[in-house]
Amino acid sequence: MNPALLEVKDLSIHFGGLRAVDGVNFAVNRGEILGLLGPNGAGKTVTFNLISGVYKPTSGEIWFDGKRINGLPSYAIAALGLGRTFQIVKPFSTLTVLENVLVARGITRYPAPSCLWTSWKSRQEAQAAMALLDRVGLADLAQRKAGLLPLGNLRRLEIARALAVGHKLLLLDESFSGLRHEEISQLEALIRTIQQAGITVLLIEHNMRVSMALCDRIVVMEYGKKLAEGTPAVIQQDEQVIEAYLGRKGESDAS
Amino acid sequence: MSSYAITILTLIVIQAIVVCGLNVIVGYAGQISLGHAAFFGIGAYSAALLSTRGGLSFWIALPLVLIISALTGLLLGLPSLRLKHDFLAITTIGINFIVQAIFLYVPFFGGALGISGIPRIQVFGEALKGAHFLYLCLFFLGVVMAICWLFTRVFAGLACFALREEEAAATSMGISPVRFKLLAFMLGTVFAGLGGALYAHYMRFVSADDFSFPLSVSFLAMLVLGGMGSLLGPLVGALILGALPELFRPLAEFRILFYALMLLLMIRFQPGGILGESSLIRKRLFPLFLRRQP
Repeated sequence: MNPALLEVKDLSIHFGGLRAVDGVNFAVNRGEILGLLGPNGAGKTVTFNLISGVYKPTSGEIWFDGKRINGLPSYAIAALGLGRTFQIVKPFSTLTVLENVLVARGITRYPAPSCLWTSWKSRQEAQAAMALLDRVGLADLAQRKAGLLPLGNLRRLEIARALAVGHKLLLLDESFSGLRHEEISQLEALIRTIQQAGITVLLIEHNMRVSMALCDRIVVMEYGKKLAEGTPAVIQQDEQVIEAYLGRKGESDAS
Repeated sequence: MSSYAITILTLIVIQAIVVCGLNVIVGYAGQISLGHAAFFGIGAYSAALLSTRGGLSFWIALPLVLIISALTGLLLGLPSLRLKHDFLAITTIGINFIVQAIFLYVPFFGGALGISGIPRIQVFGEALKGAHFLYLCLFFLGVVMAICWLFTRVFAGLACFALREEEAAATSMGISPVRFKLLAFMLGTVFAGLGGALYAHYMRFVSADDFSFPLSVSFLAMLVLGGMGSLLGPLVGALILGALPELFRPLAEFRILFYALMLLLMIRFQPGGILGESSLIRKRLFPLFLRRQP
């Protein structure tokens, strides 16, 4: 079996003259946590949107679990077992936390006509959704309207929803941003248990300490291109990466 | 009940059926439609033509009417549902004007004279009129509301709620926006078509003026007043906006003033509608009857 679950080959997308992603290659191996890092505007979220089918690439290929997925619509890619969260959280605000997860649990139902007569209000469905909420620590807020939750809980809700969809791969887009210190360590532990459950994780992260500790490998992007790839230890020593984040030695221009 | 009251009530019940359809499109799936009267008209004209020129009885014509409504809903929904917000609103207004113009100018639809001589509905060999016709309408309203209730409990309905709230997130959970918006749109137009068929057989005369744009606005006003997305909202909205002009009749010219004042007060104090989320009735009265689990 191909060790790579997700392969991105020479991926590019151009918005007019802007090359948001420009010839990027990388692979996510089965069972690993791969971090996608880079300064603001490097094209990380655009890469996520390309993988999950929100945008169609200008050129290049995306292979997921032995299947070419570029060109497929988002909902079809999701159905292959790829779940994602959003940098700017997108809860279904007037639905309860439990109902939010039930929407995601419907992933297998939506393509078939049986979604017209299968009830989502069954005890079975509720139990399965509660199990997911329990995993992210939101079980006691299940009946609360999602629109009323603070950011930290919304990020966890997004992960619960993504887990219901992504039994193979999770894309986590800055799930740690805006979280308090203890929330960060809880989330780190959660992502480790997700990995132990056999789910591959691709995450975008700005927090260096978190990504160095959590990721098995890291891909660094800058200006739409891949700058470096390797284990956290290698990345930490990489001249180009240090330069991208901190600037060149002896450079006086602070901008 | 006086025949006056029965007439008013029958029209209210027919409108409630149509507004239930609008509720599926606007309240459940979150797609604005300002052309719902067009689909009400398509149902009415189909029933009128099938029963006069086609010579079919109401019961045989009804499935055909519903199929025609669904197909026109599909045909018109397919291009328009790719648009969002204001663009969708304007497109649906356009649909209303075009459909009305076709009724008015195409000779097949009777032109300015409309279609008259629509027979009464027969049940067990007896022509329905007065209170009996009202019961038939109430029966259909019951069926429509039961379908709406069921729709909110199946995954297809949940998919529509998700699309209403956050389309990008819903799409990332396997929900095809076009498919489920179209489904809601077709269900809504089928209910509008059913209301139209009942209307045609009740008035026994239809003309293009009966399905003009202001009626679409009035349907939407009923839905907003009653509470978008709630099961009983369409009925409450149709009851109030259907009965008020009658109750305000003694006020003569001041009628419109009171009407406007009431709408303004609603917008100011109960923007979610009478039965909508976080409305007074839902907060204060419902807990007295329903014990919800915490």
